[in-house]
Amino acid sequence: MRMIESQRAEQDPLALLRLCQLVSPALPVGAYNFSQGLEYAVHAGWVHDEATTQSWVLGIARHTVATLDLPLLIRMHDAWSRDNENQARYWSAYLLASRETEELRAEERHLGRSLAKVLVSLGMSDAGPWCRHEQASYACLFALAAARWLVSAEQAGQGYLWAWCENQVLAALKLLPLGQSAGQRMLNELLPCIPSLVTAATRLADEEISMASPSHGMASAWHETQYTRLFRS
Amino acid sequence: MIADSTLQSTGSTSPMTIPQGWYARLQLGFTAREHCTVLSHRQHAGPLLVQRPFYPEGAPCHVYLIHPPGGVVAGDHIELNASLASGTHAVITTPAATKFYRAAHGRQAVIEQHLQLNEATLEWLPQESIFFNGTAVRMRTRIDLDKSSRFIGWEMACYGRRASRETFDEGDLHQALEVWLAGKPLLLDHLRIQGGHEMQQAKWGLNGRSALGSLVAYPATTADVSAVRDLALDVQAFSCTLVDGALLCRCLCTDGAELKAMLQQVWACLRPRLLDRPAVPPRIWVT
Repeated sequence: MRMIESQRAEQDPLALLRLCQLVSPALPVGAYNFSQGLEYAVHAGWVHDEATTQSWVLGIARHTVATLDLPLLIRMHDAWSRDNENQARYWSAYLLASRETEELRAEERHLGRSLAKVLVSLGMSDAGPWCRHEQASYACLFALAAARWLVSAEQAGQGYLWAWCENQVLAALKLLPLGQSAGQRMLNELLPCIPSLVTAATRLADEEISMASPSHGMASAWHETQYTRLFRS
Repeated sequence: MIADSTLQSTGSTSPMTIPQGWYARLQLGFTAREHCTVLSHRQHAGPLLVQRPFYPEGAPCHVYLIHPPGGVVAGDHIELNASLASGTHAVITTPAATKFYRAAHGRQAVIEQHLQLNEATLEWLPQESIFFNGTAVRMRTRIDLDKSSRFIGWEMACYGRRASRETFDEGDLHQALEVWLAGKPLLLDHLRIQGGHEMQQAKWGLNGRSALGSLVAYPATTADVSAVRDLALDVQAFSCTLVDGALLCRCLCTDGAELKAMLQQVWACLRPRLLDRPAVPPRIWVT
């Protein structure tokens, strides 16, 4: 029986569609409000066209999202899959403590709590305590949804990184005179990089979890005092 | 967490049996006396020492960390543990920059620093680390606070030696600065710098600069952040934010002197605010 159960888990016919649901920009968590310092990078002139947007997004995807967010997401997916909420809470607190500005922490908590509320409304009772939780992070609730919907850790990682790239590109389209087709060209180039970044993230040991984008964090801190702002981060 | 495995491999071995690298370990314990903080416990193995503590401003105990070899080489393992008991105030600094020399055969140097505060005050103000081209280092500073503790500390790093036009083209650094509050992570800053990597020039990375510093102060408020922002330090090089009650500054400069000058100004602004003491720079910084 158990083997049949686990086979069913691997081949759940709804897993792919559940992942689509989870990463859809239509999911009412408000991710479109956040640029994670991109708005400052545009203000500073660092990001000003398609090529500079592409290198900003790909650079941070490779050297921070893939080396910090993804390994933590994978650990939280594993924790939720084994019903180890304490472990999920530990890694969620770890992720929040790794967010290096007030705005980035506020974003992480806001998205985490919003996603918890969505999941509760969809009948996922495990998400209940996280609707107001101080250590709620987006990645933690994303991992919970993926685990409960039988989306594998690797697929969850791919979906998470895709959603991050898409959100950054959409923010760039609002900040710069770039059209929809430029946005699709950028995503078209980012997409093939995703699987190998996720595979590499699954192999990282705890002590290899790190980031390499100090100016990205500084841009986020500077955004906190930027005079005019479209975005909340 | 980080060096546990490394500790197991070298920690139990005496320095005599590791010809390729030094094993140095220093333990410091501070306790409160009636009028001052005393260094009541001091134990060392290998070349990491403190000079006799001194009292240039009354109660706070000032301590200089000395690493006599003058630099860290591949295979070195240096461990510092400091514990501050209730009511103590210590100021820890170093008389000079710490130099990290080129790694041979891919061997890493490991630095583990653990500072524990129990209702105490610590100023952790070591001078900068200079990572020569080709260095491989894993360095972690972990500060454990409780809610009654006060802390101002910084870590500063220079990648390559700008004065000799040496850039950091090879090597691998993992620098971690962790602040834990009552056993929970408050700030985990794990930075990876790889020699010759795109991050050195990238706008999101080091942006073509080679000196990076971070300053953390706890407990801090938005008023403290405003005071630091009002210093109007070079806006291209300096940022400040408040993360869950800790103030965090980043400073990204072209050289170490500029970096030190900037973080010293921040320290001078915060010391009276957080520790209720005027900021008198340790004399060793000027010599």
